[in-house]
Amino acid sequence: MIGLEHYLYLSGVVFTLGLCGVMMRRNVILVLMGVEIMLNAANLALVAFNKFMLPGADGTVAPDGQVFVFFTIAVAAAEVAVALVIAVALFRRLDTVNVDDVANLRW
Amino acid sequence: MLDFMFVFFAAIALAGGLVMAFHQSIVHSAFALVAVLFGVAGLYWTLGADLLGATQILLYVGGVTILLLFAVMLSTRDAGRLAIGRYILMAPVLGLLGAGLLRVYQGVIAISEGRELTLLEPEPTSDAIGQLFVDPHGFLLPFEVLSVLLLVVLVGAVTVARQQQEGTPDA
Repeated sequence: MIGLEHYLYLSGVVFTLGLCGVMMRRNVILVLMGVEIMLNAANLALVAFNKFMLPGADGTVAPDGQVFVFFTIAVAAAEVAVALVIAVALFRRLDTVNVDDVANLRW
Repeated sequence: MLDFMFVFFAAIALAGGLVMAFHQSIVHSAFALVAVLFGVAGLYWTLGADLLGATQILLYVGGVTILLLFAVMLSTRDAGRLAIGRYILMAPVLGLLGAGLLRVYQGVIAISEGRELTLLEPEPTSDAIGQLFVDPHGFLLPFEVLSVLLLVVLVGAVTVARQQQEGTPDA
């Protein structure tokens, strides 16, 4: 049967894949995609903990963990909007989206 | 049935994650991201979080990935080379971190021992979640703060884009 541990291990592996993307990719948009995957892995762990660790008296589950995930999704969407504006601005000004080329704070 | 669903969606998410992290084409990576997000949405459903799974598909698969693809279109398709070499040095540190995490996991799993996933008759969660959002003892304050954050993001994004168009980025 599927238990909490399966979800946690899966979440850990997906998080690691996202981390690999963030650290090894050089295109800033791909780095963002890695961040999104890491956030999703954490969300999955939150929902799994909610399901398995917070059962009510009558067997129903209070969805506090799911509410956390809603906040994460909203903040992640805001983060992506701002980051993509920055990425496009970066490309227009410097003609690159390679994170190694952008080492200074100001031009 | 539930086992099959878990394995199915987990396989989708893992395959998507692998392709996302290592494929040389940025557009392929974006579509692999769609696979990961869809797999995670399916896993939400196996956990009985129906509203969350639907929101995940609406917001992430329908919104965030489209935004990412627009950014790819507006910038470059060059994915850049994988920088593997310099991070090999960090592997021992990451291994230690992972071992520590596994130790924590084991403690947590011991607590949840014996609780298995039993769900074949999904109940709608939207009612309870909606109540929590507007409950002053629940999540009303974070909910309001979040709306302010979204406003700030909206104004910020427009400001950066306008500065670009007027050609006065250092204003």
